[in-house]
Amino acid sequence: MKLCEVIDALNSEVICGGDGERNITGVITGDLLSFIIGEAQEGEIWVTIQIHLNVAAVAVLKEIPMIILSSGREPSSELADKCQEENIALIVVKESAYEVCAKLKELRVES
Amino acid sequence: MNAEVYEEEYSVDGKEFVSIGIASTKIKAALKMLGIPSDLIRRASIVAYEAEMNVVIHGGGGLMKLEVHPDFIQIVARDEGPGIPDISKAMQEGFSTATEKIREMGFGAGMGLPNIKRNSDRMEIISEVEKGTEIRVAIDLRNKD
Ligand SMILES: Nc1ncnc2c1ncn2[C@@H]1O[C@H](COP(=O)(O)OP(=O)(O)OP(=O)(O)O)[C@@H](O)[C@H]1O
Ligand SMILES: [Mg+2]
Repeated sequence: MKLCEVIDALNSEVICGGDGERNITGVITGDLLSFIIGEAQEGEIWVTIQIHLNVAAVAVLKEIPMIILSSGREPSSELADKCQEENIALIVVKESAYEVCAKLKELRVES
Repeated sequence: MNAEVYEEEYSVDGKEFVSIGIASTKIKAALKMLGIPSDLIRRASIVAYEAEMNVVIHGGGGLMKLEVHPDFIQIVARDEGPGIPDISKAMQEGFSTATEKIREMGFGAGMGLPNIKRNSDRMEIISEVEKGTEIRVAIDLRNKD
């Protein structure tokens, strides 16, 4: 799926739209930064509850085009600004990480 | 100084948890400016960021150094923090002495040093308890294939 199609399919608060044309390759979830640095693949959506600036730094390192903050976690202004600057999509969903991952699985975002 | 070596030093503030990455961002920019291939920049950026996180979280601040030699990139991170009593243990995936509070912020997976190792060609840790830690990492510029 294209990034913009994923955003359209979810009920979310869009903080940054990112690059809507990017192809999504999969989904990873986790709240420990070095775990994501070790495990994430380029093009994946990252579901997390971390809201500070380092989240964007990790996304840049791993070429992650989209961050979903779950459980209604609002980003720090630094994170929102950095995502804007780096053209990374940043959205907030009310659902838990479990629920949003289940939804992404159902959508088959990687296909 | 050897004219073929590009060298730069960056100080790392130990109090700024939220803005970790200032030094590694500068390292990345310098490598871009020098025209280093992008896959090597990606690896060097991961190494620099993980090393910088450790300097802030465990070392209480310190410095980082980038050296670009004709054949390899070297990244050095140094602090005068508590040191590492057992380096081979610290290298194990999942080993971390980070507190619960730090873990809540997303640090302390015990993956930083393994990530550095995986993204480098050579890595050396010199540490003395109560004196500090220095980590030296090299990434080869020319892959022999
Ligand atoms: N500069 C340092 N000074 C003192 N101890 C260190 C330093 N760097 C690493 N260590 C020790 O080695 C352990 C493992 O480091 P590593 O980077 O692999 O994991 P971490 O920093 O605990 O977690 P993560 O990197 O996954 O966020 C640390 O928990 C700490 O005990
Ligand atoms: Mg670490």
